[in-house]
Amino acid sequence: MSVTNESTPPLTPPSAQRRENRVRSQMWRQRATVIAFAGIAALVVIAILAPWIVPYDPNFSSIMERHQGISLRHLMGTDGLGRDTFSRILYGARTAVWTSFESVTLALLVGVPCGLLVGYLGGWVDRIAMRATDILQSVPSLIFAFVLIAVLGRGTAQTALAVAIVFSVILMRITRALTLRERELLYVDAARVAGLSRTHILFREILPNVVGPLIVEAAIMLGTAILIITMLTFLGLGLDASIVDWGGMLDETRQYQAVYPYAVLPPGLAIIFAVLMFNFAGDGLRDALAGKQRSTASRKQLRAARRADRVAASPAKAPKSSDLVTVEGLKIEFPGEDEAVLEILSNVSFSIRRGETLGLVGESGSGKSMTALALLGLVPKPGRVTAGSIRFGGRDLTAIPEADMNHIRGSEVSLIFQDSIGGFSPVHTIGQQLAEPLRIHHGLSEADAMKRVIELLDLVGVPNAANRVKDYPHQFSGGMAQRASIAMALSCGPKVLVADEPTTALDVTIQAQVLDLLGDLQKRFNMSVLLITHDLGVVAETCDRVLVMYAGEILEEGDVFQILTQPRHPYTRALLEATPRNDIRMERLPTIRGAMPAAWEWPVGCRFAPRCAYALPACTAAPVAFVNGVRCIRADEISRVGI
Amino acid sequence: MTRLIAVRVLMSVVSLLLVSAFVFALIQVSPVDPVVLALGDGAPPEKVAAMRHALGLDQPVIVQFVTWLGGVLQGDFGASTFTNRPVVDEIVEKFPVTLSLLIGATVIATSAGLTLGFLAGLQPDSMVDRVVTSVVAIALAIPSFWLALILAAIFAVQLGWLPVAGYVSFRESPSLWAYSLVLPCIAVSTHAIAVIARHARGVVVDVMNSPFIEAIRARGTPRSLIIHRYVLKNVLVPLLPVIGVQLAIIIAVSTVMEKVFVLPGLGSLMVNSVVSSDYPMLKGAIVVVASIIILINLLVDIGLGLLDPRVRPQ
Repeated sequence: MSVTNESTPPLTPPSAQRRENRVRSQMWRQRATVIAFAGIAALVVIAILAPWIVPYDPNFSSIMERHQGISLRHLMGTDGLGRDTFSRILYGARTAVWTSFESVTLALLVGVPCGLLVGYLGGWVDRIAMRATDILQSVPSLIFAFVLIAVLGRGTAQTALAVAIVFSVILMRITRALTLRERELLYVDAARVAGLSRTHILFREILPNVVGPLIVEAAIMLGTAILIITMLTFLGLGLDASIVDWGGMLDETRQYQAVYPYAVLPPGLAIIFAVLMFNFAGDGLRDALAGKQRSTASRKQLRAARRADRVAASPAKAPKSSDLVTVEGLKIEFPGEDEAVLEILSNVSFSIRRGETLGLVGESGSGKSMTALALLGLVPKPGRVTAGSIRFGGRDLTAIPEADMNHIRGSEVSLIFQDSIGGFSPVHTIGQQLAEPLRIHHGLSEADAMKRVIELLDLVGVPNAANRVKDYPHQFSGGMAQRASIAMALSCGPKVLVADEPTTALDVTIQAQVLDLLGDLQKRFNMSVLLITHDLGVVAETCDRVLVMYAGEILEEGDVFQILTQPRHPYTRALLEATPRNDIRMERLPTIRGAMPAAWEWPVGCRFAPRCAYALPACTAAPVAFVNGVRCIRADEISRVGI
Repeated sequence: MTRLIAVRVLMSVVSLLLVSAFVFALIQVSPVDPVVLALGDGAPPEKVAAMRHALGLDQPVIVQFVTWLGGVLQGDFGASTFTNRPVVDEIVEKFPVTLSLLIGATVIATSAGLTLGFLAGLQPDSMVDRVVTSVVAIALAIPSFWLALILAAIFAVQLGWLPVAGYVSFRESPSLWAYSLVLPCIAVSTHAIAVIARHARGVVVDVMNSPFIEAIRARGTPRSLIIHRYVLKNVLVPLLPVIGVQLAIIIAVSTVMEKVFVLPGLGSLMVNSVVSSDYPMLKGAIVVVASIIILINLLVDIGLGLLDPRVRPQ
């Protein structure tokens, strides 16, 4: 008997309002791109039609009408020679569009085939081409263009050619990088094996696959071309003086700066408009190609989450004297899409006893690591604890100021991670980082702290500790880095050590060594350990008690012997069955069918029910309570089945 | 570290040689003949030949290059074909202007860019972040030379707070020197500020979300210490090359600033030598500008080596 996922209603059904919001936000995302393409279309139309739509000949000057303001006769006024600025701006658009398209097209025709060939051939051809272009790239484009214009001579065609050469070098490098990546893919091998010609492979097979990013690049280059050409013309090195151009117009305004300062506005704004349109179009195309969705939560969502009332914790039971940490009704929420709130942890309660090793097991995404982070007050933003308490040393860790929490972190409660190398700053020495908790929490001097760090590294079995403190994280192996992070976690004599998958990233032999070390140190320092793992073998070896977590809830709690031999929850049972054992030979290891639902689709009833072999209709009807250490209505029957 | 520096210095020298050779070769293939240009179209052929010989243009290209390079190494860039003055004198005269502009712009661009990037990146999606991101987006679209014209129109022409144009050397009057550089430095660095701020914001957000920052927080390190000890250094590593590229662009764009504010620097020297096909001058100016850029890249590489142990040769 089973219940499928579809029949269970999602936690938060999408309302019509929410759907509408989503569509609107997607429209907004695309709006900038739509406007950009409309702007470019307008530019092109103006460029083509300029001779027919301008109200005046752009070169017709009337000395009587110098520096006229804005009027119906002259929409943008007139310049120092009495020429109509509006007509000149429109003609300038014609020049800008024409010269930029000309130079970018030429650059594409040269740069792309060269890049394809160099990237495809690789080897020494590639190396020589890259060294040569490295040199060209060490000179800024504008100065490169100066040299080219000096060589080619001044003039309109020469300017476009110079800019085209500068761009073709850039395009060649981009195409080459893209081709290098494509070359390794199977379809290229297949084409080669099929005996297709090199030209065919380059232009029919590879080119269509790299054309997307190249179009993006070309769109942005069109804007840059306008910028460079107007700059060159402004400097007197670009287009012929007879051509109406925005850069030339800006140059002319300089002599009338004092009398008529507004003249700089129309050509400048025209350049900004054109450059912005091409940039937006390029960005929009890039996003569209990447299928990018903005993932940051909107301000509205964040505000809604902040507004959500802080639910009062359920009345706390008097903590037992043997309990060091007591977690009660802990709930952690994240703002989801469209103002929904995702509950990542729901009503999690447990305690860690003095000197014990408590295992926390479950699949990835079940909320194990979130629980660990919550113990140190490190729930990543925008998530937050919305209910419950974490009692430790007479205080509630969910409600104390950040400065006080800093005194507890690394000193009374320590954390070690799965990725120990990634847990160190790559540009600071191991010694410097290990010494930090001792200096902060115990106020040791640098020299004393370093002495202690060396002792600790010796203790955790890092050979040659006195020299290794000067090393950087990348010089440590995974096992040694994990030993170092254990040394740091222990340095201030913590009462609780939270170990989040401490051995998952290590080789099997190193795993055993690190677990043994942890066990030794725990006895020596008389700490409690919360060991988070998905490996039941590790649990069997090291833990006193076990918590089983699934989809943000604790499903079962018990001592290690009971959990491993007589599980009372079907999920625990399924986990055990999916663990390889060497006393029973079987053809195939059973797996748990289906996958854990994501936080936004957690069922209303038992969260495991959709995957449970023992589920009844009652399981999906309403949430199941946690009674006597298990969250299952059929716990008694299941415990009798045995493993 | 010594090895890293030695290797980088060697590579820089090679780059400089290659850039020089490239510029030299390009000018060789130019259809413009500087001798004909200098003497005029109708000059008698024997006069042209004499000048060719005097300038060494009748020698094989390789010999010309080696002769020129030998001169350059001794500080002799030849004489301008336009003014007949030694190129090196002109460059020495113009260099302080370019250097002043570059240093001023570097200070403004890096300090403002990093400050804005950190302000925005340390509190993503906050009001500050939104304001900084919008301002940066606008600044990226404004052409520097237009901004320069606008700034000059407002602060120099209309308000009269700062000089419209001209350069006063530091030796003459430090305060007037500073005054004459304020507007050009701001105008030339605005785009760089925006680029650096945009990159810095992204890198700060990435670093703040990296697992090691979480691990460092778990040690109980206070936020202020995390930011100035760990985030700053980790952010600078990917940002140094970005800053290096921006400085090279600042040098290029300062040619335009020199025109707007009438500053006698290397940029105007280059532009004028292009206009007058003064090749010895152009070659000299380009070699000097390329040297500055290559030196900047060298400093960036050495800085990276100091900051990041992973790039040091083992």
